Amino acid sequence: MDRTERILDLVALLLDAREPISWAELREHFPADYGGSDDAAERKFERDKAELVELGFPLSYVQGDDERRDGYLVDRNVYYLPEADLTKEELAVLYAAGSAALASGAFPGRDDLAHALRKIGFFAGESLPTPRVRMELGTGQEGQEKEVSARLEQLWDACSAHKWVQITYGSPRKDGVTERRVDPYGLALRRGVWTLVGYCHLRQGLRTFHVHRIRELKVNTARPRTPDFEVPADFSLDAHVAYFPWQYRFHEPMEVTLQLTGPQASRAGSLFPGAALEPVGEGVVRARFPVTFLDGLARFVLSLGADCRMEGPPEARERLERMAANILAKHAPVEGQRVSA
Amino acid sequence: MSNVHERLRRLLFLVPYVSKHPGVTVDALAKALNISREDLLEELDLLTCVGRPPFNPDDYIDIYVDNDRVYVDLDQRLFAPPRLTAGEAAALAAAAELLRPATGDALQSALTKLEGIIPPAARERFRDMYRKIDASADAPPALGPLTRAILERLEVTFGYASPGRAPEPRRVRPYELLSHRGQWYLQGFCHTRQDARLFRLDRMEDLAVTTTAFQPPPDARADVPNPARSASEASVRVRFTPTAAPYVKERFGQDARPLADGGVEVRVAGDSERWLTQWVLSFGGEAEVLEPASARAAVARAVHASIGS
Repeated sequence: MDRTERILDLVALLLDAREPISWAELREHFPADYGGSDDAAERKFERDKAELVELGFPLSYVQGDDERRDGYLVDRNVYYLPEADLTKEELAVLYAAGSAALASGAFPGRDDLAHALRKIGFFAGESLPTPRVRMELGTGQEGQEKEVSARLEQLWDACSAHKWVQITYGSPRKDGVTERRVDPYGLALRRGVWTLVGYCHLRQGLRTFHVHRIRELKVNTARPRTPDFEVPADFSLDAHVAYFPWQYRFHEPMEVTLQLTGPQASRAGSLFPGAALEPVGEGVVRARFPVTFLDGLARFVLSLGADCRMEGPPEARERLERMAANILAKHAPVEGQRVSA
Repeated sequence: MSNVHERLRRLLFLVPYVSKHPGVTVDALAKALNISREDLLEELDLLTCVGRPPFNPDDYIDIYVDNDRVYVDLDQRLFAPPRLTAGEAAALAAAAELLRPATGDALQSALTKLEGIIPPAARERFRDMYRKIDASADAPPALGPLTRAILERLEVTFGYASPGRAPEPRRVRPYELLSHRGQWYLQGFCHTRQDARLFRLDRMEDLAVTTTAFQPPPDARADVPNPARSASEASVRVRFTPTAAPYVKERFGQDARPLADGGVEVRVAGDSERWLTQWVLSFGGEAEVLEPASARAAVARAVHASIGS
């Protein structure tokens, strides 16, 4: 019998059973499947049971007593999906986000997500919203969606089963690629780019990897149901992934002060989330925050224009002025070219 | 995930779905399950062989197609789908984070209800897996009302600040929201300009949803903004140092032309001076505008303005 068919038969049998079903009875019911030697039959049934548990099938083994015999039983109250009573608005949020993630082509756990959306929509009937939210996620450039999507799916499985992965990684900072074994702790999305955070056995420490820069990826397939590692209890993804370029952990933290005026003053909170903001006059705001990559901040401050000034410390001002001088030198008028101001 | 696993999940949903929607068309059912019509018909064939021992005629699932519509007479207790697994709930919860904080209270209450429909034994695993994806995208607050306006097909009004110009009032039929490289855009029909337009959400102010309804076109799909592919005549040549080259190549692929010194050169649209200067400055000293001279001068002016010289 086809394995899918056999497992569905088991579901139908167990959902209908009022009494526990013993192993002997199961062998009787499925003579062609669970026949043969005791060992082979048991191994086959163990695999089917594992599949059922993975499907979320609430299967348990009951030890019998005077009243009841030993056997397998399913808690029907736990099996069936209850109505979640989501409001129209809640359903719209989950649907818009879920289908945007699916349509993006690159979201970890795509299959899981598709099933989840179907299930929460089961009771909604015709009132299901048709979302029009689209996201371009995870890729460095066009045409990479398929690869990134496939890798995210493998990483999602590896993260949830706690299995190590072997990656071939190409960083733009260095020529060539490196081979690494990584314990995947989690995945973070920042500004449209997916980052893998995990313990790198090559570097003997926590490292981050852009998923679109992973050239090859293999998940450890040995003993699939046994975890290879534990994620430390105090681990937090957010502590390892930068939102903004000045948060890359290249240097020791340095506190900088910026002065924002005009339209940038009212945007200070969203430009520099987490900064301590202090009004210092009519429409002028001072922002203080720690920086671990000064060049990243200097570039951003330059691009914001006249309404954002670096106040200090002097080291940061100097860095910014040197950068500005370098750009000006590169953009000095070329002789013979007419410049219209 | 194995094919058997995927198939089982699909079939455990299929029977209850037909039970709840008797007479659903084959095409609608295939669409709901995201499989082809042929694959669906094959799955329906398999289901007619499924049942419970002792396999008397009444013990089989009785599911059939009649006049291109699907019915189930005996569902063998598969009248509702299984609960969400930990993985399914975690993927959905992580995806929902994409719209935080724009979605406010609705997201939080939805997540609480979601946790309530996971089997109790799977809840700890759900929390563990949910923590493994961090997709908080810092979605702008305007996403909430705009999503609603798109769903309810209502026009919106807002002030829009084009670069270098004061905000001007716009009235727009919102079609689609698009997030590209961390930036959110609204695509829609602008009454003010009488044309389809892409608006950046961070340049909108005083957004209001009106009560004027409209009918959206069947397929309004926004083009992803790509400065190297825009059809503008006013193109600007930008050269990057070998240090910046790998990053530019990663972003522009074949649109980045390699140079003898290990750097690269890119041609981009130059019709937005503000965009161009911001972009060039964001590379620190690793980018240089080669031509036209007016764009070089614009970059120099922007640097002077930035450092107050």
